[in-house]
Amino acid sequence: MTQPDEPILEVRDLKIEFSTEEGLLPVLHGLSYTLSKGRVLAVVGESGSGKTVHALSILRLLPPTAHISGGEIRYKGKNLATLSRAELRKIRGNKISMIFQDPAASLNPVLTIGEQLTETLLAHRKMSKEAARARAAELLEKVGIADAEKRLREYPFQFSGGMCQRVMIAMALALEPDVLVADEPTTALDVTVQAQILKLIKQLQRQSGMSAVFITHNLAVVAGIADDVLVLYAGQCMEQAPAAELFARPLHPYTQGLLSSLAPVHEKVDILPVIKGHPPVPGQLPKGCSFAPRCPYATDKCRQERPPLFEENGRFTRCWLREGK
Amino acid sequence: MLNYIVRRLLLLPLVVLGVTFLLFFLTQRLSPEMRASLYVKDPRQMGSLEEVIRQYGLRDNVFKQYGRWLANVAKGDLGYSPSANMPVAQAIKEYLPATIQLAFVTILFVVFFGVWFGCGSAIHKDEWKDVVARLISVGGFSLPIFVLGLLLLMVFYGQLGWFAPGGYSVHTDMIIHSGAFKTYTGFLLIDSLLNGNLRVFWDVLSHLVLPAVTLCIGSFALMVRVMRSSMLEELNKDYVRTARAKGLTKWQVVYKHAGKNAIIPVITLASIQFIRLLGGTVIVETIFDYPGIGRFGVIAAQQLDIAGILGFSLMVAVLFVLGNLLSDILYTAVDPRIRLE
Repeated sequence: MTQPDEPILEVRDLKIEFSTEEGLLPVLHGLSYTLSKGRVLAVVGESGSGKTVHALSILRLLPPTAHISGGEIRYKGKNLATLSRAELRKIRGNKISMIFQDPAASLNPVLTIGEQLTETLLAHRKMSKEAARARAAELLEKVGIADAEKRLREYPFQFSGGMCQRVMIAMALALEPDVLVADEPTTALDVTVQAQILKLIKQLQRQSGMSAVFITHNLAVVAGIADDVLVLYAGQCMEQAPAAELFARPLHPYTQGLLSSLAPVHEKVDILPVIKGHPPVPGQLPKGCSFAPRCPYATDKCRQERPPLFEENGRFTRCWLREGK
Repeated sequence: MLNYIVRRLLLLPLVVLGVTFLLFFLTQRLSPEMRASLYVKDPRQMGSLEEVIRQYGLRDNVFKQYGRWLANVAKGDLGYSPSANMPVAQAIKEYLPATIQLAFVTILFVVFFGVWFGCGSAIHKDEWKDVVARLISVGGFSLPIFVLGLLLLMVFYGQLGWFAPGGYSVHTDMIIHSGAFKTYTGFLLIDSLLNGNLRVFWDVLSHLVLPAVTLCIGSFALMVRVMRSSMLEELNKDYVRTARAKGLTKWQVVYKHAGKNAIIPVITLASIQFIRLLGGTVIVETIFDYPGIGRFGVIAAQQLDIAGILGFSLMVAVLFVLGNLLSDILYTAVDPRIRLE
């Protein structure tokens, strides 16, 4: 049996590059983390921070212009970055599954929901079509879609965005995977629907004890769902910590900025604090700390030397201010 | 759906009226004497022209004449075609099946090879297979049909003697017009098999190959391009990524998921081309002297056979409307988002 702390997914020094007309453009500069059984890791970052690219790289679903240029993604001892296609296919959707940003576009418009659900089951399990169909109906009910038998015969265009995401979740969880990779699963949805979907994911994750990598740009989303948080900035991990600790005491100035720019619920503020400036353009990182140009605490050292990740009490922070603490 | 079909069918008479009246009006540019002379075979009877003009009311007002023609059409009488030497209705019945047969074989080739090459081209984008397919496509596209037709005739008939040009062989002609040969469908390819006469089947097939290949090339070139770009577009969509994430095989991802979406524009193109082939294989049928409806139309036009021209246009108009309707219905079968209302 698996132990509670057993690592399921280990990412080591993962590097991803885009091939462009001007040459290779690094977008992820050596990301490392360990995901343990039953834990939810939230990867938070702005657009362009490399978070979606990282999510896609786990199952090697990167667009043709991008590729993994170094590092490992270890799942149960296998390196997904170099695994053969046939081996990888046995893991996709079976051991590690994924849900995406735009649920309506992520379903095939000309195949019925039933067909798309059953084919996932049949791709990995030896079972009859009837059995797969019955299981598909069960799954739809599990994700809160009523009248499942009838809805299996319908097409994605007959479903709302939130309903499509429920179908995607049912599909992702069909084979009870060890890991769910969720790439901004609520971004394209209405706020009220967002909350429902998040609750559903959390509930199903607790029930099955699977692990999850949850990609988002929204720190508020993270609070309800994550056990650990990894803050990504310009393709680098800036801070990694258990969620409760990170929210209570953010150590990195970037994380502090992100948290203070969230709108408070109970007080009225006239102007929300923002982090001034823009994230660096990929390929044109500053010489020192990539956040230094926007950091209110930046020193000369910050501008000259790139900081490593400093560990303290099980948290990691990439900031010279944490040196020796 | 039924509602839609009925409404489209109600539109049919309108289209037919428009097309035929326009042509009828144009034929009135010819003097009554010229129109009457078509019916007089023997030069010695030229003196009776005035009698013919009076008998058929050729000097009447155009609407009156058109009304008379329509009334006859309603009775199933399309008039007599001097150029074909038989009633127009009978000529259509005799020549149309050969054209449908040719169009059908052609479109089958075009779709099969077009989809095959187009998909291969998209999947192996920028590799040698793609380059070859694109070269063939550009080549086929820029080769005029009459040049290609004559080239094929020169090589495969003139030098190799593999396939025959011109009408069917005497043997075939004799058999199909004899009482022993039963007509089931009007399509000789099928009928000859049903009659168990392989010699006729082979003769008909060998007359079909060169015109079909000639017709194929241009359509095939277009089909490859449409299939390729449609497939490339679909392969970039989010649902394809989902299909890959589910652990499906490459075959399933490409053909089942992307393919079913990519084929939709191909169906439009194929149905448009099929309809065009039905009414417009004129050049090819003429080059190969193929006994189809296109050749009938050309000869009728050359000989100012008014009844023949009108009958031909009427038939083409009806085929166009029905063909378009068929392609609309076909759509709903592939794309569940389309509902005909």
